Amino acid sequence: MSRANSSTTASTPTRPLLDPRGPRFGAMITAVLLLVVLFLSLTGASTAALILLALITALFAWGTLAGAGRHPYGALFRKFVRPRLAAPSELEDAAPPTFAQGVGLAVTLVGMVLGLAGVPGAVGVAAAAAFVAAFLNAVFDYCLGCQIYLLLVRFGLLNRGAQVRDA
Amino acid sequence: MNPLEAIGLVAALLAATTVLGLLWRARQGRVARVAGTMISAADVAATIPFGTAATLLQFSTELCARCPGTRRLLRTVADSRPGVVHVDVDLTRRADLANRYKISQTPTTLILDGAGRVCAHVGGVPNRADIVAALDDLGSAPRGSSPLVKSTATTLRSPHVAR
Repeated sequence: MSRANSSTTASTPTRPLLDPRGPRFGAMITAVLLLVVLFLSLTGASTAALILLALITALFAWGTLAGAGRHPYGALFRKFVRPRLAAPSELEDAAPPTFAQGVGLAVTLVGMVLGLAGVPGAVGVAAAAAFVAAFLNAVFDYCLGCQIYLLLVRFGLLNRGAQVRDA
Repeated sequence: MNPLEAIGLVAALLAATTVLGLLWRARQGRVARVAGTMISAADVAATIPFGTAATLLQFSTELCARCPGTRRLLRTVADSRPGVVHVDVDLTRRADLANRYKISQTPTTLILDGAGRVCAHVGGVPNRADIVAALDDLGSAPRGSSPLVKSTATTLRSPHVAR
């Protein structure tokens, strides 16, 4: 017996698929850059910190709008890293890492706006928060976006309704 | 702040995040035995009956990086054991179920016995050997251990087998 999906299973057949190591490679670069932002802001180099954070924010925006599959770090991964690795054991849907890019964008954008408004410490705090998520993703394969998505569902903020599709 | 202090703070953040990650990873896939409630196929709007020996009840969302892999793993385990059924519930359209069963991460898998009682709770990507061990404890024999069972085993396939 066995093998069955309930009627409520999502069916998303035509989304692009990614090597799951690609987004994690990108998250590692982002994590390192965010640590540099934190260091710069701690040492009083506020302008340099703000400029680097703006660059990271722009890259998050790129990943959010174009999709995780078209991120510049993804291109770096495909050109320099993936040829040195074994074939991926499985591919993943691009939607979760793209949503994660959006979460990163939200955090860094808030930090950037508050930084421009002159709120002390905003750039450093935003960089530290985004670093935690990026580092956990890169090193431990933790998916903060997936967690936030579930919370949004539980709090009813996604409002998909209780439609049950017939199988 | 002088550069040395700043480097110290950066290193402290790195260390704290690493500890957080190790703690999180240690909990992933752990099979926690629970003496839980009864869940029926109707409770989760499943279109097929639950297993007569056990049910692997997976909770996913449509935005979950490791849910498809977990789905494949659990399906394979269920396929290899008669009387065991795998059901994957998408919480995206059933937030009520997420709240009722207090699902705090995806994927989460509940292992139900043949009567539908929750026996174990697995948060995160499960480990195949641990799932098999939990099913062994429930008394579900692997396929092939009995010729009679093997010959009567059938495969139910939903028309909407996702991804």
